[in-house]
Amino acid sequence: MTSLVQAIIDGLMVGGVYAVISIGLTLVFGVLGIVNFAQAEFLMLGMYIAYFAWAALGLDPLAGAFLAFGIVFALGYGLQRTIIQRVLKAPAVSQVFLTVGLLIVMENGALLAFGSQIRSVTTAYQTKSLQIGPFFVSLPYLAAFLMSIASGVSLWWVLNRSWLGMAIRATAIDPMAGRLIGINIDRVMAIAFGLGVGLTAFGGAVVLPYLSVFPTAGSQFVVLMFTVAVLGGLGSVAGAVVGGLAVGVITSVSALMFPIQLQNLVLFLVFIAILALRPDGLMGRA
Amino acid sequence: MTMRQTFLLICFATLIPLALEPNGYYIRILTLALLFAALGQAWNIVGGLAGQMSLGHAAFFGLGAYTSTLLLIHFGISPWIGMLAGGVLGGIAAFLLSLPTMRLKGHYFALGTLAFAEVFRVIANTWSSLTGGPVGLSVPFSEPSLAMLQFNETRSYYYLMLAAFVAVSMIFVIIVQGRLGYRLRAVKEGPDAAEVIGVNTTRVKIHAAVISGSLTAMLGTLYAQLNFFFDPDTVFGALQISIRIALIVIVGGIGTLFGPLLGALLIIPLEEFANVMLADRAAGLSQLTYGALLMAIVLLQPQGLAEFAKKLAARISGKVMSSKTEART
Repeated sequence: MTSLVQAIIDGLMVGGVYAVISIGLTLVFGVLGIVNFAQAEFLMLGMYIAYFAWAALGLDPLAGAFLAFGIVFALGYGLQRTIIQRVLKAPAVSQVFLTVGLLIVMENGALLAFGSQIRSVTTAYQTKSLQIGPFFVSLPYLAAFLMSIASGVSLWWVLNRSWLGMAIRATAIDPMAGRLIGINIDRVMAIAFGLGVGLTAFGGAVVLPYLSVFPTAGSQFVVLMFTVAVLGGLGSVAGAVVGGLAVGVITSVSALMFPIQLQNLVLFLVFIAILALRPDGLMGRA
Repeated sequence: MTMRQTFLLICFATLIPLALEPNGYYIRILTLALLFAALGQAWNIVGGLAGQMSLGHAAFFGLGAYTSTLLLIHFGISPWIGMLAGGVLGGIAAFLLSLPTMRLKGHYFALGTLAFAEVFRVIANTWSSLTGGPVGLSVPFSEPSLAMLQFNETRSYYYLMLAAFVAVSMIFVIIVQGRLGYRLRAVKEGPDAAEVIGVNTTRVKIHAAVISGSLTAMLGTLYAQLNFFFDPDTVFGALQISIRIALIVIVGGIGTLFGPLLGALLIIPLEEFANVMLADRAAGLSQLTYGALLMAIVLLQPQGLAEFAKKLAARISGKVMSSKTEART
């Protein structure tokens, strides 16, 4: 029983991070209508930025996360304007190939630029944990969780309380109508893409205190992100939060019962079951 | 293309190996291209005719490779029989996959099929006692013979793959011209309208998926026999198989008879040459080039090569026509 509760606590902690990286994916889909297979590569990029910020400037990855967000936001904005924009009206399959191509380019670009060695940071709080009764909350998990929640709340505020957020939501609902009432759709879409990949990079940076970075670090998150996004309903930001926490708990609890290699298998099966039973996500269209 | 042109094309394809070294590098690339053209044609039944972008065909491909190879290793059963067994299993797998994914559209269908193939990859990597795990399997070589589907010359494999491509293409043509083809097109153009005029859309899609999955599994056996070695990632991999097959058909021209061949003849050699030229430069460079090419193809020629070739042919024949009329006047 104790181990089950412990697993649920751990699951919620990592689930918060899953939520933030998947919000990026779901935001890109919701506003631009494309499934970005390269999304997880931006997570890897965020990890590298935070790593080098730590190695060169001595910046804690939690502070480096803001740097990662800023750099990747700019990169995403540029990518959308130059490349992604051209396939927005193309068939789904062209979009898949474009983003898969981007995935390959980014992964191998990282290999060329940074080499294949595994890098990790050392921080003072890395191995510490809080004890609450019989349970432990690992400090790096908690920090990543809190940072993720904070960024999720900020995004919620932007989407619901600012003019930009309204423009983004209007574009998601009907780009044509948005253009008619004077929204610069192209710019809004580029900002949404930048925000989406930036948030994922932010999530990559905050997990750096307990994970290592290497060129294929993103690939282990691909299934996870898609499961979270589909679980919550592709395009729904609130759904991604619920989905993220759920997937965190599912993976953490299933690790108690199955060998580690089969953890992904459980995710895949959940993923296929959700697609089959509730294609719009557990919460329906949001 | 007319019957006569097709016949000439096949004759030409039969003669090509005579000009090449029987065990050389070029014939190996062509052999691989023919195999992928056949895979593309099998995918075309689902992706082209039914309009469903499957990104999970690696599941069937790997199933075929593992089935025949395991039967050969443990029981000494000829790969011909193993191929049939793989075909049956591939058909069953395609049927099972259809049940949850049939109602899905576009992105969701692509994602669901992708996840399905990944399930197989994870199982093959984990269930080491059966599959050998990440280490992979080697096909035992006894002696070169048609009965055991093993040869010591690549040239023989070339003819094997050519025959496979022609066979799958014939099945494709039969489907296109038959009842199933009309129904599939009806389903693709307007599923609701098809349902109204009495087409059982679910059943039609399942039929197409089962045929396509079964053929893909059988081609998996041929791949195992050609390569003599494979591991879970090479036969169940999303990038290596599923996406590559779909890419080949889309580049060549989706839903067309010669699209898969055109696509395979472009993509496979391109990959090979990129590999050879760039592999020893720096790790990742050849893959990087491949990814960049993929992006370039999508951005420059989204309608596929077949469309491009058609336009070109129209322009040439248009010129011939106009010069004829000029000559007449």
